[in-house]
Amino acid sequence: MTEKATQGRLEISDLSITYRKPRSDEVFTAVEGVSLTIEKGSFVTIVGSSGCGKSTLLLAMAGLIPKASGAIALDGQEVTKPGPDRAMVFQDASLLPWRTVHGNVRFALELQRWKRDDIDERAMRYVRMVGLGAFADYHPHQLSGGMRQRVNIARALCVDPDVLLMDEPFGALDAQTREVMCDELLRIWERDKKTAIFVTHAIDEAIFLGDRVVVMGRNPGHIRDVIEIDLPRPRTNAMLDSPAFVDYRRRLREYIAADLAALQMVEAIV
Amino acid sequence: MMAAILRRPAPLCALISFAVILAVWQAAVDFGFVKAFFISSPSRVAFELVRQVKNGELAANLSVTLYEFIIGLAFAVLIGGLLGLLASWSETVQHILDPFIWFKYSSPTIAFYPMFVAWLGLGEATIIVMAFLFAVTPIYANTLSGIKNTDPDLIRAAISFGARRHDLFFKVSLPASAPILIAGLRLAVGRALTGVVAAELFGAAAGLGYSMSYYGQKLRTTEMMASLIVIIILGVIFTQALAALEARVGAWRTGPGR
Ligand SMILES: Nc1ncnc2c1ncn2[C@@H]1O[C@H](COP(=O)(O)OP(=O)(O)O)[C@@H](O)[C@H]1O
Ligand SMILES: [Mg+2]
Repeated sequence: MTEKATQGRLEISDLSITYRKPRSDEVFTAVEGVSLTIEKGSFVTIVGSSGCGKSTLLLAMAGLIPKASGAIALDGQEVTKPGPDRAMVFQDASLLPWRTVHGNVRFALELQRWKRDDIDERAMRYVRMVGLGAFADYHPHQLSGGMRQRVNIARALCVDPDVLLMDEPFGALDAQTREVMCDELLRIWERDKKTAIFVTHAIDEAIFLGDRVVVMGRNPGHIRDVIEIDLPRPRTNAMLDSPAFVDYRRRLREYIAADLAALQMVEAIV
Repeated sequence: MMAAILRRPAPLCALISFAVILAVWQAAVDFGFVKAFFISSPSRVAFELVRQVKNGELAANLSVTLYEFIIGLAFAVLIGGLLGLLASWSETVQHILDPFIWFKYSSPTIAFYPMFVAWLGLGEATIIVMAFLFAVTPIYANTLSGIKNTDPDLIRAAISFGARRHDLFFKVSLPASAPILIAGLRLAVGRALTGVVAAELFGAAAGLGYSMSYYGQKLRTTEMMASLIVIIILGVIFTQALAALEARVGAWRTGPGR
C-alpha cells in the first residue's frame, strides 16, 4: 500500500485561548499571543511548568477546543475540528478498557471509516510495530504502563496522520521505562518522519527528542523561547552527557528555576 | 450459570448452612417441638410440590406469574431505558423527570396499588402495572447515570479520532456502561417479582401470589409454603443469572481476565 506524501506544516499565529470560569461570565486566559511555525517532518517538544497552557495549546491544534483569537493552519487549512490529518497520543486512561490491544488500535480505524477488508490486518501491523504482537489479545488492565502507551502510540499512528500530537505521553511512567519509550518513539518516528509535537515537563526528554524545544511561561501562557537542538540524529543515550547536551540542559533549567523563583515570590506576597 | 455459582467463594459453606436449616426445620416438626400446622415441614412441602406438578396446578400458577412478570419487566426496560437515555442526553428532560423519580424513591410503590385497582380493576392489568412500577426506577436511574457518567477521557479520545454522535453512543458510552445497565436489570428483576407477587396477593384469579393468599386464608400452610418456595427459587435463579452475566460483562473493570 502507498502512504501519502508527508504533509504537516503547522502555522500558529497570535493564538489566544480562553476558558469560561465556572459559574460566572468571566473568562480566564490560558494561552495568549502564541505564534509558532512547525515545519513538516520536524519534532518539536514543549516544556514549561504545570498550568502554563501546554495541554491547552495541544488541544487547540487537535481541534478539540475553540480559539478565542488568532489562527492555526495546517498546510494552509484552518484547523477548526479534529481531522484525520492529526492524531493524538493521550495518557493511558484513554484506552477503552473493554477492548483488547488490537481492538483499541482498530477503534481509531473504525472511527475514520477505513475499508473493512484490511482494517484488522492494518491494526495488527501497528500492534506489531510497537512490539506488542504477542499481547494483541490482552486488555489494557493486563498491561504495564509502558505497554499501554505503546498501544496509544500505535492507535495514533495507524490512521496515518500528518501530525502526531502527544501530551505528556510518558508522564505516568517510571524513569527507566521513559527512556526506553523515548528511544522507541524516535525509532518509529525516523521511519516516516511525521510532524511530531510532544509536551513534557522533563527537560532531558525534551532535548533528547526535539529538533526544537519550545519553552512556555505562565500567567497567561505564552512562549518564552524556542531553542534549536543541534544534535545529530539518530539520537543516542551517549549524547546525554555530551557538552552540547549539558549546555542545553543548563539553559532550560535556568528558565524553570526563574519560573519557580517567581512562583515563590508570588506565594510570599500573597 | 452453575459454574459461576460453584466458582464463588465458599459455596460449600452456603450449601451446608442451607442443609442445616432444612434439617432443623424437619426435626422441629418430626420431634413435636412445633406443630406442622404452623410451619409445615420440608418433606410435606416436597410432597405437595410433587402433587402440584402432577395435577398441573403449579404449571398453571407459574405460567400466569411468569407472564405478568415478563410483560411488566419488558415495559420497565423499554420505558425506563428510553427515558434514561433521553435524560442522559438532555438536562431538560432529566429535570422534567426528576420530581417523579423523587416520588418513586421516597414513597412505597405498593401504595399506588388501590389507585390502579380503581382504574384497571382487580387482575392482570393492575398486576402488570405494579410489576412495571416496581422495576422501572432502577432501570431509569442506572441507564441515566451509566450513559451520562461515561469517562470524559474516553469521549475526548474518541472525538479526537473523528467519532460522530452515534459512534460515541454505540462504541463508547454503551459498552462503558454495560455493567451498570445489567446491574440495573438485576435490581429490576427482583423488584418486578416483588410487584407481581404483592399484587397477586391482594387480588388475582391465578398465579403464585394468588395461590399463597388462597391457601393462607384456608390456613393450609403446606400448600402456601410450596408456592412460596417456588417464588424464592424463581428469584434466586433470575438474580444469580444476571449476577453471572454482570461479572462476565464487567470483567474488564476489575477482573483477572484471561
Ligand atoms: N477546562 C478548563 N476550564 C477552565 N480552565 C482550564 C481548563 N483546562 C485548563 N484550564 C486552566 O488553563 C491553564 C492551563 O492549563 P493546561 O493547558 O492544562 O496547562 P499545562 O498542560 O501546561 O499544565 C491552567 O491554569 C488551568 O487551570
Ligand atoms: Mg497538561
